[in-house]
Amino acid sequence: MVAAPQRTDGSAGTRRRRPSHSWSAGRLLGGLGSRLLDAMNLSEPTREKLKLARKKVSEVWRIFKANRLGMTGTLMLLFFTVMAVFAAQFVVAFSWISSAAGHPWAEAYDPFESTGDGVLQDPSWEHWMGTDHLQRDVLCRTVFGTRVSLLIGLVATAVSMGMGTLVGLFSGYWGGWKDELLMRITDVFLVLPWLVLMIVLATLLPGGPSVLKVIFVIGVTGWSSTARIVRAQVLSLKERTFIERARAIGSDDRHIIRRHIFPNVFPLVFANSILTVAISILSESTLSFIALGPPPTEVVTWGNILYDAYSRNAIFNGQYVWIVVPGLCIVFVVLSFTFIGYALDEIFNPKLRKR
Amino acid sequence: MGRRLLNALVTLFLVLILNFFLFRVMPGNPIRMLIPQDPSIGQDYIDEQIAKFGLDQPLYVQFFTYLKNTFMLEFGDSFHYKEPVMNIITDQLTWTLILVGTSSILMIVIGMAVGIIAAWKHGGMFDSGSLAFSLFFYAMPTFWLSMMLVVVFALELNLFPEGGQLPIGDKLTPFTFDTFTDLLYHLALPAASLTIGSIAAFSIIMRGSLIDVMTEEYITTARAKGLSEGMVLKDHAVPNAMLPMVTLIAMDLAFVVGGAFQTEIVFNYKGIGWATVQATYQKDYPFLQAAFLIIAIAVIIANLVADLMLIYLDPRVKMG
Repeated sequence: MVAAPQRTDGSAGTRRRRPSHSWSAGRLLGGLGSRLLDAMNLSEPTREKLKLARKKVSEVWRIFKANRLGMTGTLMLLFFTVMAVFAAQFVVAFSWISSAAGHPWAEAYDPFESTGDGVLQDPSWEHWMGTDHLQRDVLCRTVFGTRVSLLIGLVATAVSMGMGTLVGLFSGYWGGWKDELLMRITDVFLVLPWLVLMIVLATLLPGGPSVLKVIFVIGVTGWSSTARIVRAQVLSLKERTFIERARAIGSDDRHIIRRHIFPNVFPLVFANSILTVAISILSESTLSFIALGPPPTEVVTWGNILYDAYSRNAIFNGQYVWIVVPGLCIVFVVLSFTFIGYALDEIFNPKLRKR
Repeated sequence: MGRRLLNALVTLFLVLILNFFLFRVMPGNPIRMLIPQDPSIGQDYIDEQIAKFGLDQPLYVQFFTYLKNTFMLEFGDSFHYKEPVMNIITDQLTWTLILVGTSSILMIVIGMAVGIIAAWKHGGMFDSGSLAFSLFFYAMPTFWLSMMLVVVFALELNLFPEGGQLPIGDKLTPFTFDTFTDLLYHLALPAASLTIGSIAAFSIIMRGSLIDVMTEEYITTARAKGLSEGMVLKDHAVPNAMLPMVTLIAMDLAFVVGGAFQTEIVFNYKGIGWATVQATYQKDYPFLQAAFLIIAIAVIIANLVADLMLIYLDPRVKMG
């Protein structure tokens, strides 16, 4: 991974630090956390561990806050997350604006229902982004599209991260021929053009198009680089003295992997997974664009909207808004994850932090 | 070196197994994958195909027949074109090769140039500007960037055609000067959309690598000898900083091929990506299978070549 050109020597961060506000997100969460801990009535060691974890998280947050790129990404992502959760409220808010401008909508539109205002309408106060071939409001669809687009990106990433971590952990820990075999399989998935494999899988897998199938296809094609990274980390961890110590006091493999190796690999996997979300979202939109995504009649994603726009000749009919806005949504979500990923990479990668 | 060759061979073999699994084992009935579900097809043809691919044999015998057929580039008949897949695929491969080759060269040259300038003036305006610019395009789905280019440069400004290759029967022969200019005219937008999105990958790595190299002692030595900054950069820094680029070019190929697929669809550019996506719509399994295998093999070979080149360029790799 590559460091973004950021001043990370800390001086810039401290100089710019403003006097602390009466409340900050960090303090709010921290207060909530300690109250939660008190309420949960946990055993002493678990409580200690949770406290330690909380301390670590707030430490990372402190460094992260000083990273301009990371904070920009976080704010952008926050916006899209709010839009995904409150999609219906967003549409209502837009209808208020239209009412205020003197063009009240007949109703708050639904992403799947025809508005009855004619097909392929140009943008107007009633339909800010026009209507599509089924008389649906494109603005409404774009807002609702945030949901599944983000969801597929996140879940597919979880799938590929899980697979990659497992393969990397065992491959690095076992060594020998098992390692060799797993790494050759990893190579296959690393080298194969992801889109080609996804197309073949999506075409051949039984059953019609569905969200689950898309998640599976993206997850299965995207795990290889994680496996490589995890394996490399495990190989270097294996030689450390604390592993030897654990073995000397009689810990078995399962215990060592779970308690000593995995916790040390996890931050790396996490930083890597943020960038994978970006790629997964791009993959979903591409699959949807070539009609291999989730069914457009039941699910709305930005990729689906773009597919509809393209296949109904929106380019040649001059309905540019229909194409530009959903595309920009993809670009900014992907950018937000990329920014956060780079920032985390700087934090978790000590070699980059020094520079 | 022998080790790398062996690894590539193993990878190749695993791809063959994966392909066999995907197209023959997974669907349950391999006959469906090689013979179109069309009542008008004569029984003679079905029997002939079954014999050719050993579809009535046990699975392991089928596998060896499959290996033999693959080596002889025998992938069966396309459901859609009704002739051997290999006959049609070579033409499309040429078109894709032209597109991918042109844009690869462009993205390497531009990416490296941007990276070198960014590293040279690092911390400056060009550095952060080029990063923001290239990341923005990197975050774009290639198909969307292609559509935007069509809108701006073909429909609004009317500078380039909105798609297709050559109007002259989509053929390159005879290769006159007019064919050549027409080729460039039609290639400009597809190649640009493929190039722009990938510049970031190259410029960022080149920048990082060059900044790393600039801290080496031999750079200080070169400066101490009284060389100008430009000469230090040209003769000492850049050649060494270029080594990671070789690996990157090969690694990036997988992404470029994916991008080429999307570009070809939007521009209606009849290369292998366009044809593969058509094949998924037409359920043309023999074509899909052949395209998958050929692309995979091409990418594996490209990676191997890059690996071997790196050994030649950087003797340290051999020991590592």
